[in-house]
Amino acid sequence: MDRRTLLRGMLAGAGAAGLAGCSSPVVAGLANTPLDQGTVEYWDLFGGGDGVRMQQMVANYRAANPGTPVQAVTLAWGNPYYTKLSLATVGAKPPNVAVSHLTRMLTLQRGNLLQELRPEDLARHGMAPEMFNKRAWEAGLVDGRAYAIPLDTHPIVLFYNTDICGEAGLLDAGGALKPIEGPDALADAFAKAQQVTGQFGATHGIDADPATCWRLFHTLYGQLGGEVIADDGTRVVLDDAKALQVLEYLRSLTVERRLMPGSIDYQGAIALFAAGASGFHINGEWEISTFQTAKMPFGMTLVPNVFGGTYVVHADSHTLVLPRRDDQTPGQLDLSLGFVKALLDQSMNWAEGGHVPTWLPVADSEAYRKLTPQSNYAAAADAAVYDPPAWYTGSGSNFENVMGSAVGAVEGGQLTPQAAIEQLRSRLSALAALPSPV
Amino acid sequence: MTVTTAPDRPVTGETPLPPDTAESPGHTRPALLMMAPFLVLYLLFVIGPTLYMFLMSLFDTSLVRPGLGSFAGLRNYTEALGDAAFWASMWHTLWFTILTTPPLVILAFLLALMADRVRRGRWFFRLAFFLPYILPSAVVALIWMWMYTPELGLLSRMVTALGFAEPSWLGDPDLAMWSLALTTVWWTLGFNFVLYLAGLQDIPRELYEAASMDGAGPVQQVRRITVPMLSRTTSLVVVLQVIASLKVFDQMYIMTSGGPNFSTRPALEYIYDVSFTDFRVGYASAVSTLFFLLILAVSTVWVVLTRRQEERL
Amino acid sequence: MTTITAPTVTRESVDRRIKLFNATCAGVLIAFAVIWLVPIAWAVDTSIKPNSETTNPTWAIQDPTLESYRTLLSQGSIWNWYASSFITSTLTAAATVLTGSMAAFALSRMRFRFRWLIFWFVLIGIMIPQQALIVAQFREFAALQLLNTYWAVVLPQVPAAIAVFIFKQFFDGVPRDLDEAARVDGAGFFRTYWRVVMPLSRPVVAAVAIFTFVWSWNNLLWPLLVMTNPKLMTIPVGLATVQGTYGIRYADTMASAILGALPLVLLFLFFQRRIVEGIAGTGLKG
Repeated sequence: MDRRTLLRGMLAGAGAAGLAGCSSPVVAGLANTPLDQGTVEYWDLFGGGDGVRMQQMVANYRAANPGTPVQAVTLAWGNPYYTKLSLATVGAKPPNVAVSHLTRMLTLQRGNLLQELRPEDLARHGMAPEMFNKRAWEAGLVDGRAYAIPLDTHPIVLFYNTDICGEAGLLDAGGALKPIEGPDALADAFAKAQQVTGQFGATHGIDADPATCWRLFHTLYGQLGGEVIADDGTRVVLDDAKALQVLEYLRSLTVERRLMPGSIDYQGAIALFAAGASGFHINGEWEISTFQTAKMPFGMTLVPNVFGGTYVVHADSHTLVLPRRDDQTPGQLDLSLGFVKALLDQSMNWAEGGHVPTWLPVADSEAYRKLTPQSNYAAAADAAVYDPPAWYTGSGSNFENVMGSAVGAVEGGQLTPQAAIEQLRSRLSALAALPSPV
Repeated sequence: MTVTTAPDRPVTGETPLPPDTAESPGHTRPALLMMAPFLVLYLLFVIGPTLYMFLMSLFDTSLVRPGLGSFAGLRNYTEALGDAAFWASMWHTLWFTILTTPPLVILAFLLALMADRVRRGRWFFRLAFFLPYILPSAVVALIWMWMYTPELGLLSRMVTALGFAEPSWLGDPDLAMWSLALTTVWWTLGFNFVLYLAGLQDIPRELYEAASMDGAGPVQQVRRITVPMLSRTTSLVVVLQVIASLKVFDQMYIMTSGGPNFSTRPALEYIYDVSFTDFRVGYASAVSTLFFLLILAVSTVWVVLTRRQEERL
Repeated sequence: MTTITAPTVTRESVDRRIKLFNATCAGVLIAFAVIWLVPIAWAVDTSIKPNSETTNPTWAIQDPTLESYRTLLSQGSIWNWYASSFITSTLTAAATVLTGSMAAFALSRMRFRFRWLIFWFVLIGIMIPQQALIVAQFREFAALQLLNTYWAVVLPQVPAAIAVFIFKQFFDGVPRDLDEAARVDGAGFFRTYWRVVMPLSRPVVAAVAIFTFVWSWNNLLWPLLVMTNPKLMTIPVGLATVQGTYGIRYADTMASAILGALPLVLLFLFFQRRIVEGIAGTGLKG
């Protein structure tokens, strides 16, 4: 084979690719025609246990709908995912169905990147507002219109090691954690667990983990009735007294009483709990599969009501959205909504991964109620507080980074609560002053 | 993309073209026609976007809204210059340039010097060093992410086999940039190697012969003949290398996403993030303009260098 | 190899030292070359292991298998990526050579008003970093509704000022009497360009074509922005974006890397001399 042959081969290859491309992608690439009518293209951001479970659910859909091809693509979690989704929608070739966090949906909607889900279209596929958890459904409305179908609510929860808590006398006769209420009760429980483990009472990710720090802070601050920003993020309404109370409490747990390690990253916090070096662990419920795999004795429950106000807990929801596209046909819309409904119908499977189902036919079912420890914290769905609405908030956003890193610095002892509040105020003001791009 | 003139370019024996103002009858129209395809594309996709970038940098333009948005004046620039994240990304770009340029120049020089002395199997060295350069960045990143994989990666295992604690190559904020630099040296060394090898072959052998007769040893020969004779190539290699390093994006984007905790996010990825994640195209244009001016400044140094060298030829 | 001179003591000792020095050079060089080949060899080695065996820390393989390649090639997305890369790179290379050489011909051979002005105007383009223009170009292609088409990848890459510059330098060195003769015979400018100058410029045409093809194939940032549909992605974008799909199946990941590199490696093996000479002659760099 000489160069000429190779050149010819390559040209032939390109030509053959061109001919084979009488099927869609090549023609679409050259002539900008619609791509893949009749298939469902679906994007998600699930890794780990969630990813495996979602693949199963998609496979079940495929098996039940052999006539409808599904192309499922998994992209990296967080900002990269939303970047890709936005670019694809601006680029007029978005997926038919995509996963979005509820807190990210608002920015997408304001950027005119989502299709409205009209009640009559939803009804045709057996979906109606009253069939979803009220809080999650309403959080997905913009000006009364629906843009997102909530698949779950995923709150942060309190994991506890049943052996350690049993030894510390924290369990009731049935083997479940006795109710904990108030700041002293929680610190007490941590202290008792610490006496058993000899190391720590509880852990949560702090280093390089602003998300978890923010989630915990938001829960406690929310229980005091505090708010951070208002008017779509244009005004900072941080309540110094309430924030100080929360930060001082968190600091007392780490720096002063050493009930929790003040310098530990996400994986390290999990590892300590899994190894029995701490009795409690605060994290998203999705880590259930990690501890199940570790075959350790554990239970899960609501994060306690520490500050005694109306009970709230930080959460977000995975939702299914339909990115805007100009080439949407009624047939394609029905395929997409049918796919959405098929995923909702598998909410039980999804719930096994820890998430609280929002689809009431499953959430209210006997089968889900019997699913433990998952159903222990189902009430979180009704007490969920989401990130405040603004173009710069939402899971994995700049806002969470700003909030969480200040909280983490207090827990790690690098900042005093007072200094942290000053830092928060100045950084939040800078964000609030930016003109909204959507 | 950059270029320099060939050292061995055939010198034309033609009489020089008439002065700039000279114009032959009947040339203008066909000339414009022949240049048209290039010039139209050039205006549309290079000059146009450049002006558009300057313009947008003065507005609060959004990715997802039509039009320029409200006028911002120089606020985007003052915001960038006062933003720690902007300076951090500039510093990461510079730090990467500092980490990669010396090894890429010195190692390439030394290897080329040695290859120049070995008469047989030169194709093999060219293959070994140049092959990585031809690979797409995504392929290089995948291979090296596998090399760096904790516990299983080849490098991790080599280090632990030597009795050291396993470093977290890409996970440790202090080490990640070094790992990226190592990958980059492996990837792009071949290009400089080939440039140096070509430069070495242009040095007349007689110079070495003469030096040998004077009793100069190999090290002296290198110092007194090779290094000075290669100064042109070296200045070229250095400037090209600096420009290429300043434009770094691919390795970080794929291997670390700019992390951990933004410790490796370069300038281009910062632009990518603010424009396509935050939709703040106006602000991103201001940052792009600053980046543009930086590259332009370095490129000007290079143009001046090559122009001067051409005059000397 | 040496000229014959009267042997002196110093001369002999220098010769001996040089021989020793050269042998050392060869040794060090071979060591480095082997080190340089290790990552590629390791990738190939991993790719022909069964996925389950990739956690095994040895080079030796119990059951070498092409299973990973078979999986990837049967999945189809890699074929779409190949098609995108082949089509966009070929179009880019062809259009760059054509538009660049025509413009260069005019600048080199024709005398028209503002010739130097236009030349400098084009020369400025060499210094403009395309990477800084991504934001503006993206908005432009969104407005043209050309995102997620091959044209979005091709068009901004075609007007490469550098190609004009290289062509012009080469044309300036092509003896003028040949095309003067053609002109006397009544050939127009375009005919002279196409029939006389271009055939004499094969080496530079090949160099520019090969380099443009390789750059275009390897380009990541721009196609990453404009090709967001997984079926339209080029090879690097696909590999960088959809890698998560393979999870921790290292053999599959390495096989995908090798498949992505294969066309270029073949190109390199066949055109090695041209590529290397092209770099040495012009100092081209992406």
